[in-house]
Formats: sequence, structure tokens, C-alpha cells
Amino acid sequence: MKVVPSRPNLEAEFAPARRQANPMIVIDRVSHVFRTSGRQHHLALSDISLAIDDGAFVSILGPSGCGKSTLLYVVGGFVSPTEGVARMKGRAITGPGPDRGPVFQEFALFPWKSVLGNVMYGPRQQGVKSAEAEAQSRALIEMVGLKGFENFYPKELSGGMKQRVALARTLAYHPAVLLMDEPFGALDAHTRTRLQNDLLNIWERDRKTVLFVTHSVDEAVFLSDKVVVMTRAPGQIKQVVEIDLPRPRRRSELLLDPRYQKYVVEIESMIDDTSEERLRP
Amino acid sequence: MMCGRAIISRAAPLLACLGLLGVWQIGALILNTDSFPTAWEAIRAIPSIVGDKESLINILASLRRMAIGFGVGVIVSIPLGLMMGRSRGVASFFNPLLMVIYPVPKAALMPIIMLWLGIGDVAKTLVIFLGVSLPVIYHSFQGAKAVEEKMLWSGAAMGLSAAERMIRIVLPAALPEILTGCRTGLVLALITMVTSEMIARQSGAGNILFNALDMGQYETVYAMIIIIGGMGIGLDAAFENLRGRLVRWSEPGFEIPVSFA
Repeated sequence: MKVVPSRPNLEAEFAPARRQANPMIVIDRVSHVFRTSGRQHHLALSDISLAIDDGAFVSILGPSGCGKSTLLYVVGGFVSPTEGVARMKGRAITGPGPDRGPVFQEFALFPWKSVLGNVMYGPRQQGVKSAEAEAQSRALIEMVGLKGFENFYPKELSGGMKQRVALARTLAYHPAVLLMDEPFGALDAHTRTRLQNDLLNIWERDRKTVLFVTHSVDEAVFLSDKVVVMTRAPGQIKQVVEIDLPRPRRRSELLLDPRYQKYVVEIESMIDDTSEERLRP
Repeated sequence: MMCGRAIISRAAPLLACLGLLGVWQIGALILNTDSFPTAWEAIRAIPSIVGDKESLINILASLRRMAIGFGVGVIVSIPLGLMMGRSRGVASFFNPLLMVIYPVPKAALMPIIMLWLGIGDVAKTLVIFLGVSLPVIYHSFQGAKAVEEKMLWSGAAMGLSAAERMIRIVLPAALPEILTGCRTGLVLALITMVTSEMIARQSGAGNILFNALDMGQYETVYAMIIIIGGMGIGLDAAFENLRGRLVRWSEPGFEIPVSFA
């Protein structure tokens, strides 16, 4: 098992060129401080540096409140870091844009739009003609397994179905990077497994860059090329673990694979360490 | 069985009205005083009011003022409320102002407004406008404040500008709440319409009522109350119908359980 030190040397990350010479996203010494009520300050991210290759599936794993979502929001341009900079294809990220598509745990669908209306929203905003946007959206809805539900409203759908719509809605405007913020966190175990499998199948087709925030070790190892383990607040990267498992991955095979089991146990012990750190006076 | 229940629930409002009229009729017969006509006498007086050209012009003038006051009130209040809901600065500027105006009965401002603007249409429409504004501002404010941040982020990622997010996300997302405010505003418009005419006695439905009262025509007084009440019920029902269509997607009854995925 390759274990990269907590502050990855950016030069070293650039050099090996696993897929391409330049990483898709570079997070360069990013810190973020939240001002809470009163004059309290909360350090959510502390001097984080990370490089994400084009086409890589990278998970950010950590206990709740470790700042993993904040890191994702910085890449999304929803949160401006207090210090440091995040870059996409070499250009500093200053705000949200259609090159980075978020999928949130809360789904955040537009409740006044039907499933089709939600999925068509992005392409229409990008200036795609109505008929064309509709055809593309219908194809995406079918791909996420919701054919026949085009005219349903979000309120009429289960959590898993809502998240499928949210994924289709984001894929519809062709972002180069998918930013997934604990997307399956609100779903029951069975639905969660099904969506993980379906997400992998969809991802294997076009290998978009994915940044995936989760607190589930199994989920992170099952999906990712690389797992970034964060410590409890103040948010720092503890270790970056390369997951060297063959693709396409099948859940039934992987669960029996000793390498998979070893990754899970290894990463779980890292998280236990970080929890204990918190308990120290 | 379902069908029978549906019929009962549909007929219930009508039965309630008939029951009220029945109690009135019996009460009036027992009391037997000139100032309290029976329901039947009041209802009998309605056609002569509605048939009278001058009364009809008066009532229509009332409705026109109400429509203008309500329309302008809604057009001004919705954007203001939405901006207050999304911007802390705007909210902290307008909130104290509204807090001062809120408990003042709008009709109590009528004498002052009459001093400035006379007793004509402008003064009365202004009072109606004030009556409509507060509930609409308040509900728009609450609706906009409750819009999920992530929904706005999703829009921003699709490339919507701040102004576009306001019109194309905050407005529709807050619409159920806004329309609740508008419904309250509509009823308040009717109330302020009548009270404004009660103070500035020049024309309108309220004027007919109070003139009749002065002249001791009690059947006309009660008939006018029925007419005004009927207008209220009719307007409210029409608005409810419109509201139901606009925000069908948010109705709890619309929830159909789908089990899949």
C-alpha cells in the first residue's frame, strides 16, 4: 500500500504524470476561517495542499466537522478561502461555474420543476435549444434509471430517486469535474449501495474527474482512485492513500478481495487515531 | 363511500352558510326589533341594491380601488420582501420601519392621509395599499429567507447571475409562501376598503352601508354586509383556486408515494 505523506509535495505530484502532465485541480495552501456568532472563530481548513488528476476519482474522507465539505465548496467556488488559492486547469477559482458541477446531500432540486424540467435547466441556461436539451435530458434520465418519471415533481420521488435526478441535472451541463458532497449520506443502506454501483457504471463511461466527500470508509475505498483522509478540526490532511484496485470494480468481488479489506482496515485505524487526538487535553 | 364523503365535504360550506342564516332568522324573530331584521328580509333587499345603478357604480368603484391598491401593493411588496429575505443589510434597514407601521391600524391613518390627499380615490387606495403591503412583505421575506442555500449554489454552478437567481430561483421557491401572504393581503384589502369608506364618506360600498344606517334602513345595512361578505368569500375562493394551480408542486396532498430506487 502506497501512503503519501500528509503534505503532498506538489512537484512530486506533477512529475510522475499518472494520466496527464497537469492536474485538473490544484489546491494550494488553502486555509478557511469561519466567523461564528459572537467573535468566535472556527478554523475549518488549515493550510491544505492537494492535486487532483484529470479523470481521477478522489474521495475526501473524515469525521464530521473536519472541513471536508468546506474544501469541496472552495473548489466549487461557493466559499472563498481565507488564505491560499484553488486552481482549475491552472486558473484561479473565483466563483461557481458550469465546469464544476455540484451534487449535494440535500439534493437541492428545483421543486417547482418536473424531473425533465430540472435536468433541462442547465443546458437551457447554457443556450442549448429546447428540443435538443430535451432529447439530451431524456437520455440522461434514462441513464440514471428514471425513464417514465420525466413528468414527476421532486416531491413525488423517494430520496434515492431525487439524488438520481440531481446527478442527471448536473451531468446535463457537462461539467469537467463532479463535486459530490456526501451525496448518498441521507439514503438508506440498500439505496446507497445501488447508487454507488450506478455511479461507478456511469463514471466508467466518460471518466470525469470526481471529487467525492464522504464519511464512509467502505464507500471511499470502493469508489476511489485516491482517498484523502482528513483529521478532525482544525482540518488538515492526515494521509493520501492510493487505492490500487482493478476496474471495473464489482462490489461482490471487491468485498472478498483481501486488498480491499486491508485498505478499509488501514484507513479506519487512521480515522480512529484522529478521533483520539481530539480527546487529548 | 369515498364518493359520499366527497359530496359531504363539498356541501359543508354551503350547509354552514345555511345554518348561519337559519340561526340569524330565528334570533331575529325572537328578538323582534326594528334594528335587527330577519335574514330573509335582508336577502330580499339585495336585488334592489344590486339592481340600482348608482349602488352598482358605488360598489364597482370600491372594487376598482381595492384592485389598484392590492395590485400596487403586491408589485411593490414582493420584490421588497424577497430582497429583505436574501440581504441582511436590506432587512436590517426596513425591519424597524415595518415594526413601527405593523401594529398601527391602517384605517387610523385615514384622517392624516385625508388631510394630505383629500377624501378621493387616492387617499382610499393608499390606505388599501398599506393594508395589503405588510402581510405580503412579511411572507415574501420569510419565503425568501427559507430558500435552501444549496439550491442557489446549484443555480450559480449552472451560470445564473445573482439577479437571475433572484428571479428564477428565489421567486419560484418562495412562491407558496408569497401567495399565502397575498391571500391575507386580499382579505385585508377588502377590510381596509370598507373602513376607508366608512371614514371618508363619499362613495363606495362602505358608504352605502353607513348611509343606510344613518337613515335607519336596517334591511339595506344587513344586505350590504351580506354583499361585502359574499365578495370576500368569492375573491378568496377565486384566489385560492389560482394559488392551487400555481403551486400545485408544493401541496402536501400532491404527495404520491412512489417506492422505487
